[in-house]
Amino acid sequence: MSEIAAAGVRPAARSRLGGAEASRGAPDVRRLLQLALAGIWLLDALLQYQSFMFSKAFSQMIGGTASGNPGVVASPITWNATLVEHHAVLVNSIFATIQLILAIGIAWRPTVRLALAASIAWALGVWWFGEGLGMVLTSSASPVNGAPGAVVIYALLAVLLWPTDRSVSAPFTAARAVGAPVARALWLVLWLSLAYFALLPGNRGPQALNGMIAGMESGEPGWLAAIDRNAAALVAHQGLAASIVLAVALVIIAVGVYLPAPAAKGTLVLALVVAAVIWAFGEAFGTILTGGGTDPNSGLLLALLALTYWPVRTAVTAPARTAPAPAGANEGTTAS
Amino acid sequence: MTPSWILDIFAALMLVVAAVSAGRLVAAQPWRQRAALADIDVAHLLMAIAMAGMLAPSLQTLPNGAWEVIFGVLTAWFAYRVVRDAQVSGVRALAGGHCAPHLIHAAAMLYMFLALTAPAAHGSGMSGMGGAAGTMGTLSLPFLAFIFALALIGYSIWDLDQLSGPGASGHYSLAVARVAPAGAVLAGVGAGAGPGAAAVSEPAGSAVVTEPVTASQAQPVGAGGPASGTGRGILAPWVATSSRIAMGVTMAFMLLILI
Repeated sequence: MSEIAAAGVRPAARSRLGGAEASRGAPDVRRLLQLALAGIWLLDALLQYQSFMFSKAFSQMIGGTASGNPGVVASPITWNATLVEHHAVLVNSIFATIQLILAIGIAWRPTVRLALAASIAWALGVWWFGEGLGMVLTSSASPVNGAPGAVVIYALLAVLLWPTDRSVSAPFTAARAVGAPVARALWLVLWLSLAYFALLPGNRGPQALNGMIAGMESGEPGWLAAIDRNAAALVAHQGLAASIVLAVALVIIAVGVYLPAPAAKGTLVLALVVAAVIWAFGEAFGTILTGGGTDPNSGLLLALLALTYWPVRTAVTAPARTAPAPAGANEGTTAS
Repeated sequence: MTPSWILDIFAALMLVVAAVSAGRLVAAQPWRQRAALADIDVAHLLMAIAMAGMLAPSLQTLPNGAWEVIFGVLTAWFAYRVVRDAQVSGVRALAGGHCAPHLIHAAAMLYMFLALTAPAAHGSGMSGMGGAAGTMGTLSLPFLAFIFALALIGYSIWDLDQLSGPGASGHYSLAVARVAPAGAVLAGVGAGAGPGAAAVSEPAGSAVVTEPVTASQAQPVGAGGPASGTGRGILAPWVATSSRIAMGVTMAFMLLILI
């Protein structure tokens, strides 16, 4: 608990915080999640310094995301790819350094708000110029291959983990900044969209999922390639059934946050499992082990997002409008 | 290939860390105190020199085999200290104790030297990495490199958080060290006790065990110089923590670009 916030704790609230534990300063869940986000940004930044990112292959990868997108979306992507191609070292160094600064800024308490705000802007820019809006406007978007784009989840997390409190009591961490109704709506939209993508014609063909998973083998270590091969074989000619099962799971996850806490926890566990399966089998850990991964992809981010919705007993000392908490600090809250 | 000037920047950063660590050792004068050990700063110094040599061929000092022995010993030493911490503070010290990050650092260094494969391994050290040979080595068992990188990133981010404010967990504090009798405080205590740590050492002559203390337990000491180990100037805890952050990030960077 921050000292500033602690000073404003009413006796009743202090009691709710749990006596000695509260006064000692229990770990703040939101701050821990912010640090996890900072860690992923740092991972992104360091991955951006890899050899692959300074080669033409990186600009070709960016340019490839223009394919299938409407012209108004594709043109800026093509411009960006050309820029990266012509000034690979300079532009990529800037990209990596920006992400490094974002990571440090989020981890450094006095700058957490500034860094989170900047990360939203940066993430949205990368989502468009670097990921082609996660291909959501094309027919090839799939939750298994990273739709709706990993980087947009960074932005969503930055919003949900914004260090302010709108209500005295929030049922889960993500509700603290935007309120429970808005947080639940955002969750619903995200996971329903994933369910929709899972059922797109291009993803429910007999060999669609098989091809997607098998395509991740290239360049992976032997053991991971073998896992991918076996997973691909498991869904061979089962594309429709697998898509339906996946879509049903995603819908259950989507509505889970509206259920009572015990049931919500069950659906969040399901979300964590689905995210892990997507990350391991569909995304091969963001292809980081090939030396060509720009980020850990969406699976890890979906898992982190699920944790922000985990039901917690959160007690805020005072409404944010009357007693704003210091940036990035614990805001006089604790969660269990 | 990652441009050599980026590698040079990281190498320069490591030289700064090496210089700071050496400065801390000199300022603390651990050789004048019977029980004093400066394992943290010695480890920082060695790791920084080794990494600078890996990043920039012109900065290479010892052959790979010597570094493997050195980091093997350091890994064993910090493993011993982590176990000791766990016996004193409970199993949580295995990951969250003040020696755990140093164990990860030492083990990651050992792994890098052991796992580096051709073409860089054919030359002296990791000279290919700097771009002189036009090719880079790669690490065998890349998943292990990824795991090490994640751990290093995690500790670095945690250190940054703790350095910039009071510990969310209340486990660490930026207060200066409470001094134990007879100059038992170590040169590396600040770093060893975690980010911006307050630390308490056992009396002189005993085995070296430093434990993080909470803010309420810490008793800031207003006076004292290197001899008393109160952590002012270059001996301030934040200096060691900053060094550890720089090394952790650089090490994670090296692991990831060598995958």
